[in-house]
Amino acid sequence: MPGVLTAIVLLPLLGFLLNGVLATQLGGNVAGKRFVTAVGCGLPLLAFALAIKSVLDLQAGGYVPLVETAYRWALIGRSSFDVAFYFDRLTAIMVLVVTGVGSVIHIYSVGYMAHDKSFGRFFAYLNLFLFFMLLLVLGRSLLVLFVGWEGVGLASYLLIGFWFDDLANARAGKKAFITNRVGDAGFLLGMFVLYQAFGTLDMDRINAAFGVGAAAVVPATLVGVLLFIGATGKSAQIPLHVWLPDAMAGPTPVSALIHAATMVTAGVYLVARMSGVYLQAPEASMLIAVIGVATAFFAATIAITQTDIKKVLAYSTISQLGFMFLALGVGAYGVAIFHLVTHAFFKACLFLGAGSVIHALSGEQDMRKMGGLARKIPVTFVTFAVATAAIAGIPPLAGFFSKDEILWYAFASTQGGSPLLWLVAAATALMTAFYMFRLLWLTFLGNSRVDPEVEHHVHESPLSMTGVLVLLAVLSAVGGFIAVPHFLAPQLPLPAVHEELEHFETPLLVLSVVLALVGLAAAAFVFGGPPARAEGLRRRFAGLHRLLTGKYFIDELYERLIGEPLVWVSDRVFLRLGDRRILDGTLDGMAALGRRGGALLGRVQTGSLHLYAWFVALGIVGALLWSWHHV
Amino acid sequence: MTAFLDGLLGHLDTLLLVVFALSALTAATLMIFLRQPMRVAMALISTMVFLGGIYGLLGVHFIAAFQVLIYVGAVMVFMVYVIMLLEVREHGVARYSGLLLPGVAGFAMVLGAILISIWRALPAPNKATGGAAFGIGKFSVSFLNEYWLQFELTSVLLVAAVVAALAVIRVSRRTDRTRPHG
Amino acid sequence: MDRTQMLLAVAIGLFSLGLLGVIVRRNVLVMLMCMELMLNGVNLSLVTFAQQTATTAGAVLVFLTFVVATAEIALAIPIVLLLVRDKRTLDLDAYSDLKG
Repeated sequence: MPGVLTAIVLLPLLGFLLNGVLATQLGGNVAGKRFVTAVGCGLPLLAFALAIKSVLDLQAGGYVPLVETAYRWALIGRSSFDVAFYFDRLTAIMVLVVTGVGSVIHIYSVGYMAHDKSFGRFFAYLNLFLFFMLLLVLGRSLLVLFVGWEGVGLASYLLIGFWFDDLANARAGKKAFITNRVGDAGFLLGMFVLYQAFGTLDMDRINAAFGVGAAAVVPATLVGVLLFIGATGKSAQIPLHVWLPDAMAGPTPVSALIHAATMVTAGVYLVARMSGVYLQAPEASMLIAVIGVATAFFAATIAITQTDIKKVLAYSTISQLGFMFLALGVGAYGVAIFHLVTHAFFKACLFLGAGSVIHALSGEQDMRKMGGLARKIPVTFVTFAVATAAIAGIPPLAGFFSKDEILWYAFASTQGGSPLLWLVAAATALMTAFYMFRLLWLTFLGNSRVDPEVEHHVHESPLSMTGVLVLLAVLSAVGGFIAVPHFLAPQLPLPAVHEELEHFETPLLVLSVVLALVGLAAAAFVFGGPPARAEGLRRRFAGLHRLLTGKYFIDELYERLIGEPLVWVSDRVFLRLGDRRILDGTLDGMAALGRRGGALLGRVQTGSLHLYAWFVALGIVGALLWSWHHV
Repeated sequence: MTAFLDGLLGHLDTLLLVVFALSALTAATLMIFLRQPMRVAMALISTMVFLGGIYGLLGVHFIAAFQVLIYVGAVMVFMVYVIMLLEVREHGVARYSGLLLPGVAGFAMVLGAILISIWRALPAPNKATGGAAFGIGKFSVSFLNEYWLQFELTSVLLVAAVVAALAVIRVSRRTDRTRPHG
Repeated sequence: MDRTQMLLAVAIGLFSLGLLGVIVRRNVLVMLMCMELMLNGVNLSLVTFAQQTATTAGAVLVFLTFVVATAEIALAIPIVLLLVRDKRTLDLDAYSDLKG
């Protein structure tokens, strides 16, 4: 039915407009808040319902992709740029995740932001984000995707700096936006190359063209690398990962929705969508796999030493995204999307759980001041524990299935799998289990290190928050049984596996479980016992600990290499030389010239009438001479 | 001798014209060189009288009469009065300004430029000089018939001059009163 | 050279001499008189040209020149008187207040 896809996209936009325009006018009273809640949560839920309907339509139509052209954006010469929406299996999964998880996070926000003075503005921005994200996943052409890409960056900036009265938050928002723009340069170049070669930016057409051997026309590796650069910025891979930890300055629902479940996965979606290109570009795929696994390992090492609960989860997100890119790099596109879905479930649950903890502790985020909360906020504890087990990879929870598939294909895929990749990924999985259980122990178990003042007010969160936590925990538990890779296989086939390695499958499966349990045990041992054990460990590896706590000093390196030279150029070259000396100097110089010229010419007025009369005589002579030639 | 005198008498008017012209020029040149203002005034008066003579020889007698009557009789007399008035207090001023040499150069250039201009562009006269003489009657009639507007404007100008002169007298009387005599 | 040319030469000479006098002489009154000389030279050339037409236009113009010269002198002299009274000298170089 025409119009459904467009409706899915436009409903959140309507929510943004209504809330954005009317929220402040309605004021912060109860009626106003009810209106904002109804619009802000209702419209995404409606979009979710329409998404389900579209999936049913897709199924009924034999999985032929649904295409809907909304309107013609531009007609330049003979090429037309349309805003068109495309719905196939991959889109179906993405739209369900975005609208589904998005809607429940909206509901959570009702409880979390209930006392915030900018309640309406928050929901307006959240709806704006949903609009752009849906544009991104439903777009048929790279151009529409890019509009959504930039739009989610904008929404992210607005939401990170939501409490902009604190300058640090605003700076974090700026950092996110600017880092993304660096990646977008690569994305744009990739788009230019594709348009130049094919005359169209429709992704299905481009994939088809590469399928029949367009690699001769334009090097797939080049396109692949350029598009991946864009993905690096959006999905926080090395070297553009620096913005994600700082983005934790935003409210926790924002961290859950944007920086865990949906926006950061846009890069994964892009590569999966353009699989036609990457299947023809083995070098680019290898690059993706290497960067993915390196990022995963690197972020996991940092996560072990972080003391802020949200920062641990942020680095965990970067690490899990690295896993997804590893899967993409070895050709297992469907598996990457599978991990994307399960990650959305448990990471959103973890972030929202962290939000619940922070809410209970009236704003405390430092884990060193937590502990022993399990009995005081039981629902949060149980859901958090379930999600932690899921991310660690303990069967039969969701994370086990997706992560194990990734590890298997990293080892055995014919499109770039190698034991070395598997080894690093497995080490990362071990560390994941370790730091996640460390998080669980320090926050909920053991003795309470909570500030006594705060301890009086510890209370369980309202139903709007705990209900969502329970829902997400259930999904984290059973989500692994949704056979996403097989659903996507007709469109994104699973890579072939080396035959001689096939018998390693079961041993590696068992090894994954063992690693998860070892991580759990190690964390319990170090952090479950007396605090001296953890202290002793820290003192023994003091240098390493300092390196990890300082996040490998990457931010400082960027500041020194890029930031300071730019500031120097801006100050010395553009400000002092360009603006002050050249521009101002020119203008002042012209004024001075006028003034001095005037002073010079003024010297003619000596006050002596004789001189003036002499000038008259000269003038007469001059006029006569002129008249000889011209009259 | 008679022939000479006949010839002379035949061209008497031309001769007189040349004599008057040269005399006027001489007197004018004298004005530049004479030191005392009174003598300069006398030189100017003689120039004007010679010019009057030239006008008479050209046939426009009433203009000659105006020249002597107005210029010599009114303007120069006024000038002489003022010289007498001011010279009593002053003991002579230096003769030449600082621009003597540039002035002379400028004078030569102006003279040369105008003479050359005139000589290049002189149109043929429709009548010989002195040919169309007319008397004051014709002049007055046409003055008041065709050029009555200029006549009226002239009288306005004279009224303005009288008013201005009165204003000057008042200003000078006021400054007289406010200034201590010294 | 015919009469017209000679008279014109005289007129030009008078005019130039008057201009020279204005540039060269320092006494204010002498300068005024040189300006009168210039006017006379112009008058002469006017009369010369007026003679060549049969209309009275030239003569009227000459008459108007007389009137203007008279009015001008009638005012120039009192101004000079006031100036002299203020500066206490007839030297033109002293009247350079409008400098710059």
